[in-house]
Amino acid sequence: MNIEEKVYEALNNAKLVNEKINAVINFVDPKEQLENLNEGKLYGMPIALKDNISTKGIKTTAASKMLENYVPIYDAFVVKKLKEAGAVTICKTSMDELAMGGTNLTACIGPVLNPYDLKRMSGGSSGGSAALVSSGVVPLALGSDTGDSVRKPASFCGVIGVKPTYGRISRYGVIPYASSLDHVGYFTRNVKTASLTLEVLAGRDDNDMTSSFKEVEEYSKLLNSDIQGKKIAIFKNVIDSLTNQKTKDMFNDLIIKLKEKGATIEEVSFNDDLMKAMLPAYYLISNCEAASNHSNLDGLRFGVQQDGSDTNEIMINSRTKGFGPLIRKRFVIGSYGLFVENQDRLFRQAQKVRRLIVEEVKECLDKYDCLIAPASNDIAPLLDDHSRDELSDHYLIAENHMVIGNFTGYPSMTLPMGFIDKCPIGVNITLKAFDEVNMFNIGLAIEESTGLKDLVAKVI
Amino acid sequence: MNYEVVIGIEIHCELKTKTKMFSGAPSSFGNEANTNTNEIDLGHPGTLPSVNKEAVKKAIQACAALHLEIDPLIKFDRKNYYYSDLPKGYQITQQFFPIGKNGYVYIDDGDTKKKIRINRIHLEEDTAKQFHIGNETLIDFNRAGTPLIEIVSEPDMTSGKQAAQYVETLRQTLLYIGVSDVKMEEGSMRCDVNISLNKPNEGYGVKTEIKNLNSIGNVQKAIDYEIERQSKLLDEGKTITQATRRYDESTKTTIEMRKKGGSIDYKFFPEPNIFPIRLLDEWVSEIVNNLPELPEERKIRYKKDYNLSDNEINIYISNKELASLFENVMKYTDNAKAVSNWLITDVLAWLSKNNIDIVNCKLQPKELASLIKLIDEKVISNTQGKEVVLDGIMQGEVANDVIKNKGLQQVSDIGFILNLINEVLDEQPQSIIDYSNGKDRAVKFLVGQVMKKSKGQANPVLTNKLIIEELNKRINK
Repeated sequence: MNIEEKVYEALNNAKLVNEKINAVINFVDPKEQLENLNEGKLYGMPIALKDNISTKGIKTTAASKMLENYVPIYDAFVVKKLKEAGAVTICKTSMDELAMGGTNLTACIGPVLNPYDLKRMSGGSSGGSAALVSSGVVPLALGSDTGDSVRKPASFCGVIGVKPTYGRISRYGVIPYASSLDHVGYFTRNVKTASLTLEVLAGRDDNDMTSSFKEVEEYSKLLNSDIQGKKIAIFKNVIDSLTNQKTKDMFNDLIIKLKEKGATIEEVSFNDDLMKAMLPAYYLISNCEAASNHSNLDGLRFGVQQDGSDTNEIMINSRTKGFGPLIRKRFVIGSYGLFVENQDRLFRQAQKVRRLIVEEVKECLDKYDCLIAPASNDIAPLLDDHSRDELSDHYLIAENHMVIGNFTGYPSMTLPMGFIDKCPIGVNITLKAFDEVNMFNIGLAIEESTGLKDLVAKVI
Repeated sequence: MNYEVVIGIEIHCELKTKTKMFSGAPSSFGNEANTNTNEIDLGHPGTLPSVNKEAVKKAIQACAALHLEIDPLIKFDRKNYYYSDLPKGYQITQQFFPIGKNGYVYIDDGDTKKKIRINRIHLEEDTAKQFHIGNETLIDFNRAGTPLIEIVSEPDMTSGKQAAQYVETLRQTLLYIGVSDVKMEEGSMRCDVNISLNKPNEGYGVKTEIKNLNSIGNVQKAIDYEIERQSKLLDEGKTITQATRRYDESTKTTIEMRKKGGSIDYKFFPEPNIFPIRLLDEWVSEIVNNLPELPEERKIRYKKDYNLSDNEINIYISNKELASLFENVMKYTDNAKAVSNWLITDVLAWLSKNNIDIVNCKLQPKELASLIKLIDEKVISNTQGKEVVLDGIMQGEVANDVIKNKGLQQVSDIGFILNLINEVLDEQPQSIIDYSNGKDRAVKFLVGQVMKKSKGQANPVLTNKLIIEELNKRINK
């Protein structure tokens, strides 16, 4: 099959798969891209982009009614990088509205269904991208990760989810959620493609002052699964808060295999109070930043504009009608946390908690190469599952510990760990800042240990 | 009753940079609406700010010129509020850590100098400009994102005159160091005044704020009016309402725009997209040490180097373009007095008569120096210089070409002049008699006649000398 056939086959599959899993917001006609194809590292590879990644001339809605008609006038940095590398975008994928959520139930087009079980969630917020890679439609899809929005759906959909170091990939052109926590991330079905992809996406961008000047390494050429002597820390707080014995057993099996490969593995416990404070702190920081970040969505210059007698009323009406209830709730919480009389005890306090957590993790990773834990307590929840207890340990810690990767900005990756009831569940590793070489190498060792590589869910 | 007047001033000043504070779009005044914008200025989703280094440099220059301590760690914050001229829904500013603090300037208060302290200078971005036409609101985003510094004074002024002097001193200083156009009428410098009155030995009174004063004259007039208004109210035992007011030029009064009750909560917090920037000591020192000349320094230099009068110096200080023309001409001559005379009288008169700005004038500095030299060397007369040559060089011509083309060159050929003299003497026998009778006036008359015959080209000094010689010859015959 030549490139054109391959791309059109992917587009066709995307359409078929989408009828089952509702993962796509907009399909993209690849014709023009195929006519101007660069012979780069991803030459001719069909890919999907989360719909919060700006594409010039192509609708970018962030799954919000507010942006239903929004067509960017510029390409995100990563879109330029992907074009240079010869990748071909075939669709924009569904997500939680404005990337705020972990279920992908809040997209304006409805939920993304899990390719392994259509009664289950894909996870979010990058659920559409995770589900399309999981379904075998594309070998690579981009997402964004503010809490665990790439790494959690990766776990639920049985694919690899990568969130490199903060500043490794420019955020320019990615519709934000919370600027200090936002990362560009992506999904693949094997470590090799994951390592190659970072070579393409990483690098300094003068449009993002937080992007790093650090040289981009050739991760795919440096791939090496020899973890002899690597020091791996088991994230004990997470293990202790797991309630699913199958997940525990599966994780222990993996640990045994990694020991057999020569890794030194020890348990590490962090301050439990800090671990329990992590999710509330995350909610405050992310909602405060989000409330401010999304103040530009006022219906005046772009997006869906509602009627009003003056500009002020237009803004109020557009924002009231443009956002879903969850978003409005989060904006209220965010604004409340920033009020001058609340800011010290809420937003600033949350930032202090964040700093303390970062210090603990840094101290741990000064001694160990990587921190490891199951990505989740369980497989993807059912779509109508409202049973979760948001104040329980297993929710606060086991289901949300990957926020650590966003608090610290450290590179973090989820890989398939095994199956429970024919549904996948992942394992997560987190490493020192800019230690992506080790991330891919330890990831490769995990991939070899589990044997879970190039998994494809049979949707069609 | 006499009250103590307390005045503080906040000045917003647009920085003269090529691009905007946080985007690469051009930052210039007077272009077609909504042409100097990009996705960042329009607050499109996904855009991020990049700090303009040149704007930071200009803010440092302003801090140095106004004696502020410079914070080497640059941090930005968000000021959150919704308004149609604010694309992002927040303004990036420096709320918590301004780039400069604790400065001062001296103003001339009659004979004495008064120190006005400056609390802070911070960097921020401008909003878009709105136009209300009937029921429509039009927005021009060209101004959105233009770099600004806000200069906040301490409440050290006590009269409209002092306030006007403070603003003028700042205007001159910022203009001299080239950080801003400081054109109040175009809005590149905007002035908000806080004013309150209190009885002696009592605490501060309730203050009002007069916003958007668009000229230095209006600063003084608005304050003088406001002092009068507040005094009257207080005399009558009434209270002052804390409010924002504006100055109405037609009635020469201040008018209340809105009351200032519970102030808006701007929910300031550190801008997460810009990490704190550590300025290199060497970079800051280099900027501070190479600060363009300040008005005060220039006054001293003009006295010392050119020995100009105070009057002349003051003209140059308040007219920077004329001063720079003066300095450019001085590169080609040592005759400061003559250059200054020509510039202040003849050149300014010519410009005003022809309605041309100095900046648009085609005069090449070298040519004014040539003109002065040509007159000095008597190649042309002073009158010819003023009446004919100046007009040419002001339009960009070369002095020597003007002289050649207009046939103005003085002729110093003795033979040629002698011929003319003898012709004239033959025609005017009475003059010879007058001269021999001791009437020196006759010589002047004769010179005039020779000049006439030569169409003004005969060297008048030489002609004078030769006529006397010829007269003496004829008398002694």
